[in-house]
Amino acid sequence: MCILCGEFIMQVHWTDYTDSTDTEITVGNQQRIRQRSRLHRANLCNQLLSHYRLTLEEWNGSKFILRDAKGNAEIVHDLGTIWHHVEAMIGYPIDPLDGSLLDKITERSSAQ
Amino acid sequence: MKAHGKKAITIVTGCLGSGKTTLLQHILKEPSINNNTAVIVNEYGKIGLDHHLLRQAEERTILLKGGCICCNSRADLEEELKELLYADESGESPFERVVIETTGMADPSPILFTILTNPLLQHRYIVDCVITTVDAKNGMLQLQNNPEIIKQITVADKIILTKTDICSPEEHDAILTHIQSLNPSCVIIPAVYGKVDPFIIQEASNVDRLKVIHSLPSPVTHPNSNVSSISFSFSQPLDWTAFGLWLSMLLHANGEKVMRVKGMLDVGEDGPVVLNGVQHIIHPPQHLKQWPSHNRESYLIFIVRDIDTALIERSLKTFQQFLHTVATTCELTTIY
Repeated sequence: MCILCGEFIMQVHWTDYTDSTDTEITVGNQQRIRQRSRLHRANLCNQLLSHYRLTLEEWNGSKFILRDAKGNAEIVHDLGTIWHHVEAMIGYPIDPLDGSLLDKITERSSAQ
Repeated sequence: MKAHGKKAITIVTGCLGSGKTTLLQHILKEPSINNNTAVIVNEYGKIGLDHHLLRQAEERTILLKGGCICCNSRADLEEELKELLYADESGESPFERVVIETTGMADPSPILFTILTNPLLQHRYIVDCVITTVDAKNGMLQLQNNPEIIKQITVADKIILTKTDICSPEEHDAILTHIQSLNPSCVIIPAVYGKVDPFIIQEASNVDRLKVIHSLPSPVTHPNSNVSSISFSFSQPLDWTAFGLWLSMLLHANGEKVMRVKGMLDVGEDGPVVLNGVQHIIHPPQHLKQWPSHNRESYLIFIVRDIDTALIERSLKTFQQFLHTVATTCELTTIY
């Protein structure tokens, strides 16, 4: 259970499993590594979400906040739920196999 | 598989008459397995024929009510697994492993879904191994007529090729080639009258049996089905966070069509990450302490339905700028 918001977390998403056999992270212990990896995740997501004019912000090592340019915001727990929120915000399905998305990514990387 | 005190589950599936019960009968004759294994039989129809054949396991066999395991009995399976846990903890009938025998028509993925997503079961059980029995004599016919067998083969960690004594060498070779192309990562074990090493129900770590061949890039498409597979190898350690982002997005959009994803990935740690997924369901990835063999090849296999594998290739190669590695399409073969 999240001690900040009281949310009952039923499922650990597969992307959140680490090589550590510890099931809990205590304050200070691995906190920096965990926070760094969350910021890295937010950064990578932003590179992708910028194609949809959305941003993702890491929030207190606990949640992510997904925002659009109109000021709408959604609290996102993990990568298991982010894509549902993204689709709800932009109003159409997203797909990494979508040719136009791949073209945009290629175009931007070649421009850099 | 790392269990962390969880009870292991072996799922035995396969077509009607392909020898699931015969196999289980043989395996449960082994005293060390019989003594600490609970068996859940999913009976199809009203007559519990399979149940009565499994005499060795009679005391702990629980018949699921309501027919097909994937359509109606997900809650039943959950209840049975919880009841078994209660029986274990109360000391009534302790066990270490559960074998779930599905019906011949069952899709194994809802079972995996139930175990991996239920708030209680996911912490108390681990899916150790999925075994599929395939009839060597009639397998090709079943592959043409029963689409569920394709699902059962793609989900399998180990395939028991039964009735090898009554099939011709041509039939044997045909089914073997077909299975290998449908699921390049599975271990294929021939059996006559279900006689196999009983300990095959344990541990699905067959990852080191694969060999990456770089020179033969070939997405494989299967005749008579819209199933195809593609494999990749990676030249450098990949960014696990970026890979998670890509795969979670891919499974969100196309999960139903991704019948299997399996891989052993170098993510820059001491050992690889073993990835195993069926449709939307990804097993908790195992971060191994060390590589299982000298061959430190990083690979990834997709078995997909109704997706052009060239699109997956293009998407992965476009995303590789985030992954910080170079993906190469390759062919995988199993080493015997």
